[in-house]
Amino acid sequence: MSKVLCSVATRGRYFTTLPLVLNAIINQSKPVDKLIVYDDNDEPQDMRKEFLYQHFFQMLDIKGIAWEWQYADKKGQHHIHQRANLAGFDWVWRVDDDAVPEPNVLEELYRWIDMWPDLGAVGSHIWTPPHIPNTAGITGRIDNIDSEPNIQWGKFNVAQEVDHLHCSFLYRAGVTDYNLGLSRVAHREETLFTFQLQQKGYSILVVPNAITWHMKNPDGGIRSETRKEMYEHDEQIFRNILQYRDRTIVVLNCGLGDHIVFSRILPSIPNAEVFSCYPEVVPGRSIAEAVQLFGDLDPWNVYKKMDQWKWKDSLEKAYRKMYL
Amino acid sequence: MIIISPYAQKLRTNKENPKNYPYWEQLVQELQKTIHVVQIGVEGEKQLVPDFRKNLPIPALRELLWQCKTWIGVDSFFQHLAWDEGVPGIVLWGPSDPLIFGHPENINLLKDRSCLVENQFIWWEATEHSNDRFVKPKEILEHLKE
Repeated sequence: MSKVLCSVATRGRYFTTLPLVLNAIINQSKPVDKLIVYDDNDEPQDMRKEFLYQHFFQMLDIKGIAWEWQYADKKGQHHIHQRANLAGFDWVWRVDDDAVPEPNVLEELYRWIDMWPDLGAVGSHIWTPPHIPNTAGITGRIDNIDSEPNIQWGKFNVAQEVDHLHCSFLYRAGVTDYNLGLSRVAHREETLFTFQLQQKGYSILVVPNAITWHMKNPDGGIRSETRKEMYEHDEQIFRNILQYRDRTIVVLNCGLGDHIVFSRILPSIPNAEVFSCYPEVVPGRSIAEAVQLFGDLDPWNVYKKMDQWKWKDSLEKAYRKMYL
Repeated sequence: MIIISPYAQKLRTNKENPKNYPYWEQLVQELQKTIHVVQIGVEGEKQLVPDFRKNLPIPALRELLWQCKTWIGVDSFFQHLAWDEGVPGIVLWGPSDPLIFGHPENINLLKDRSCLVENQFIWWEATEHSNDRFVKPKEILEHLKE
């Protein structure tokens, strides 16, 4: 049985939509294995002192659902999601603090894990009252992202493969990383994340019959930043990643010896676009350029990856796992 | 001729790199009795033998490798370069794991796996140098005889 962590990133919504979300999670027909609330509030509170939350925590205990309330580091929800991504579970069901799932949502999403062996992520309807757009004929392809609404916003009756998902979904944990180079608003973070899962060869699905009500709340929210530059910065990273999607990006922000070991596998990497510290060993563009283009270089940090994988094999094999 | 590559990369904290072998002086003293020893490294490193070739570019290091009988080094870029060049040698291991960072083509001398640090993927600045992690020169000399 695959273990599911439910992660909720919250900010500014202690007494508006967050209680609705927690109640909905507690009352899922398929219980989660653990709930972690990542509290990114500017002034976090001890919610155990609050009557309503006392009841939630008791309900979780009685139902045997493990739970944790973690204070986040105020860097934005992508950092929070990455913590959840690496928390050691097989799957993560990410739920926004203003997105209220109906009781069958996790059960409906979860059953696709067995039905679709290469599943990377699965989402369903995200309906924002009062307007539910007609999404008939919507492709969900990344190339159409500027010209069509997100398929999850509308009604559909059959499952469909797409390139990316929005808002709330169930995903295979620890396969790819959230881009931590995005600004605090983390604009496009879930699009990038799910698209990268798809780029790694996993299927991204939208499936019917599971509705999450997006109670868009003008107050609070994990993205409650209005600075235009942040959105522009994130949009540029998003566009750059799309631009290089047909290339295998290689970033060697590491030592000379690592470059030498890596050089053995370079010929096997299809369509490599290399950024290198030692171009005399592995020719490539500068690391500064990579930072400018992609924001965060951690996804290419072989040492972080080996640590994450609890690696015991050779460095060369770690590079093979990363790039081939 | 034998090459020695005695030092791992200098740490940003200026502390001794925990991968540095502590008994070079004794080892070099013994080696020099029978063979010419060439030290390679960079400016600022301690000179152990009269023939210290500093800051050689990579092509020159590759060429030098083909002139030597063997080489002795620590866990640094040089062991990877020699592996890439197909010239086996002896690597003196301390806290880092030869199964991860080494190459089986070399003689990898590790005192004991209990000497390895638990987390192999942190910055080496976080690990203290300890002489106790390393084999003694006598063991290296025995391997050289083979």
